[in-house]
Amino acid sequence: MNQTILAVDQVSKRFAGRVALDSVSIDVARGSMTGVIGPNGSGKSTLFNIIAGTLRPDQGSVTVEGREITRASAAEICGLGVARTFQISRLFSEMTVLENLVAVARGLDDRAAIALALELLEFLEIGNIAKKWGSELSYGQRKLVEIARALMLQPKIMLLDEPFAGINPRLQNRIVEHLKALCAKGITVFFIDHEMRIVLTECDLVYVLAEGRLIARGDPNTVRNDSKVLEAYF
Amino acid sequence: MRNLGSLGIIGVVGIAALVLPLVGSDYATSFSIQLLIFLILAYSWNLIGGYAGYTHFGQVSFFGVGAYVGSLLIFHWGVPWYVAAAVAGFAGAAVAIPLGGAMLRLKGPFFAIGMFGLARVLEAFALGFDCITQGGTGIYLKPLSDLRPLYYVVVAVAATMVLLTWKLDNSRLGLKLLAIREDESAAEALGIPTTRLKIGTFIVSAIAPAAMGSLYAVYLGFMDPPTAFAPNIELTTIAMVLLGGMGTVLGPLVGAVALSVVNEVLWANYPQIYLASVGFIVLLAVLFTPRGLVNLGIKGGWLPAGRPLFRRLALRAGQTP
Amino acid sequence: MPIAELLIGGILLGGVYALMACGLNLIFGVMRVINFAHGDILAVAALSTVSIVVGLKLPFWVAVVLVPLASAGFGVLIHVLILRRIEGAPLIMSLLATYALSTIVVNVAILIWGGGYSGLPGVLGGAVRLFGVNVSISRLVSFACALCVSVGVWWMLEYTRFGRAVRSVSQAPELAVISGISIERVRITTFALGTAMAGLAGVLVAPAFAIDPQLGSRFIIKAFAVIIVGGMGSYPGAILAALLLGVIEVVGSYLSGAVLGSAYLYLLMLGVLLVRPRGLLGAGIRI
Repeated sequence: MNQTILAVDQVSKRFAGRVALDSVSIDVARGSMTGVIGPNGSGKSTLFNIIAGTLRPDQGSVTVEGREITRASAAEICGLGVARTFQISRLFSEMTVLENLVAVARGLDDRAAIALALELLEFLEIGNIAKKWGSELSYGQRKLVEIARALMLQPKIMLLDEPFAGINPRLQNRIVEHLKALCAKGITVFFIDHEMRIVLTECDLVYVLAEGRLIARGDPNTVRNDSKVLEAYF
Repeated sequence: MRNLGSLGIIGVVGIAALVLPLVGSDYATSFSIQLLIFLILAYSWNLIGGYAGYTHFGQVSFFGVGAYVGSLLIFHWGVPWYVAAAVAGFAGAAVAIPLGGAMLRLKGPFFAIGMFGLARVLEAFALGFDCITQGGTGIYLKPLSDLRPLYYVVVAVAATMVLLTWKLDNSRLGLKLLAIREDESAAEALGIPTTRLKIGTFIVSAIAPAAMGSLYAVYLGFMDPPTAFAPNIELTTIAMVLLGGMGTVLGPLVGAVALSVVNEVLWANYPQIYLASVGFIVLLAVLFTPRGLVNLGIKGGWLPAGRPLFRRLALRAGQTP
Repeated sequence: MPIAELLIGGILLGGVYALMACGLNLIFGVMRVINFAHGDILAVAALSTVSIVVGLKLPFWVAVVLVPLASAGFGVLIHVLILRRIEGAPLIMSLLATYALSTIVVNVAILIWGGGYSGLPGVLGGAVRLFGVNVSISRLVSFACALCVSVGVWWMLEYTRFGRAVRSVSQAPELAVISGISIERVRITTFALGTAMAGLAGVLVAPAFAIDPQLGSRFIIKAFAVIIVGGMGSYPGAILAALLLGVIEVVGSYLSGAVLGSAYLYLLMLGVLLVRPRGLLGAGIRI
């Protein structure tokens, strides 16, 4: 089924006179893996934060399953079944990994929450770090725990902020496998990243931003060969 | 087994507390009442300051409000002291409800200063509106002939606060508060109802101090604005929690014991430098053990990491196939 | 209501508040530290001034020079021993540290000078006639000095090289480093300057008011009120707010008594915190 679960319509945003986004529109299909790439300053982060609810656009709208979330707060958006990770991981450092996960669990009793947490840690192949403090983890482990924590919300849509940044290719591949498994279960995965290799091979749909504008849209093959994309990056 | 560790300590202390008036002197009982009142203040502050991370310098506002509500009830209408204390507790909560909604929107240092300012405003009101509060002359209450009932009430409240903290520490609510402390906007973005939890914690943290204010007035037989809103009550409370460990179950207890040792040694021999010494201790704590003695124990490996409940449940879950 | 008298009295009082507030703003702006001990430095400075003039029988201007210098030295000590170690810790830690420091200073002051009141009745005595109101010379002089120094500091920040360095450290420390500015030196100098201003305020207060060791606690919350109403980090805001609050306090005291007069300031501060946290003029910086 290819219905649109997340729609961004003609969104624009300026910061102190500088145009960060200029009439950007994006459709994300349910259960798909969609990626947005673009060089630095292209407006990816701005777009991400507008979708996640930490920024408000000057113009345009954002809808999730038909409901408008343009002016909604991050908490409200979370309530609609959207979970996000942070680019610089914001784990709760004075808690163990297990507690980090259990802290955000909703609608489950203690036993079920812990069971889900352990299950997710197993799914991401980091079951052995459940007892470690948030502050003791390696960079890669933090990224994985961020993903696990977002998954604790049993979301319909996962928003990932540069999930592949700064980690080695082997771990990147493993994360992609996990994300694809999520899509297979019907969860929609949307992320922004620099890492073209992943986006241009694994995504169902790719958007390319440059200087605040959408310059390409399509499946990875099409985008890979798009001259505008090549120009923007090289 | 480790879990019984903190409960065990609490249990031992609890039994000692219960037995004290029967075996100890009147002085010991009297001294313990003061210690326990501070303990209760510390545990209350620990909730909003230690767990939720909203440290502030206005705890004494609730103490003072309770002191005056209680004193006036007793003075004008002869209300029994334990009823006055209960009403004072409600008054504290009632004041905290609108206050929480307004003040908790402020960021860290603004919130702390705002609450400090509030305490000064209330002190000024208590002094200024002397038609109601007797102002600077103060309110004189008939002193209690027997301190023991008062002592047991205070013990009961102290036990309640300690157990409440223990329950909180071992619950998901406690984790949510810690999440607010660690990273409030991340917590909010992940669906934790931060506003509701903050306000709720703030209100709960106001009840016991208000009740204790009233009981303190009865204990002293007297209340006036400098006593009700004394900055050194604030400082000592914060010092206890900071020194012991913010956001832990044993922290305020450890801090209270440590500071009363200081109290005993200094107040008896060098009372003039007592307050300066408490200030000095807070300074040392901020510089060298900002997370408190209890957390030193955790990092040093003597106390277990993480909340016991989750470790136990995780262990059990891990064993199921 | 004797408007002229109240207005003038308020403005004169506001001068000292301005000096305090500018010192606090300077420290806050550069180091993001809210110095709870600021008021107590003022109190100790005032008490020292009394000791110098009455005890050591030295002329008043000696105190005017010595005390701010000593305050600056004390500031350097605080910075090196305490504040430098907690750089990077959450803001609340510096609040706790300076709060504890404040307690230490007050109680040591009580030990040294006793808890009672003292003053400098003989210095800068007499009165002049200004706009039909009798104004005491000491208050006029302290107002003039305080205002000059406050405006002077603001001028320094806007127009001198050091001032630019200070502003760049407070607004963008990473860029300041790249421009070759030694952040640590700027911080030490700024903190010393801030405490010197508190020291000077203390010297100016000594001839005009009755002083005791607890004076600082009363001044600090008013200084906080000033910088919050004026907008944290804003110098013109602090100066204007200081004058405004001086007038409000004097008028409030006239109408409702001294105690409630001060309460009006705190209430205004709370009101601004809740409704317009960036100050009445919206000039303050966000934390």
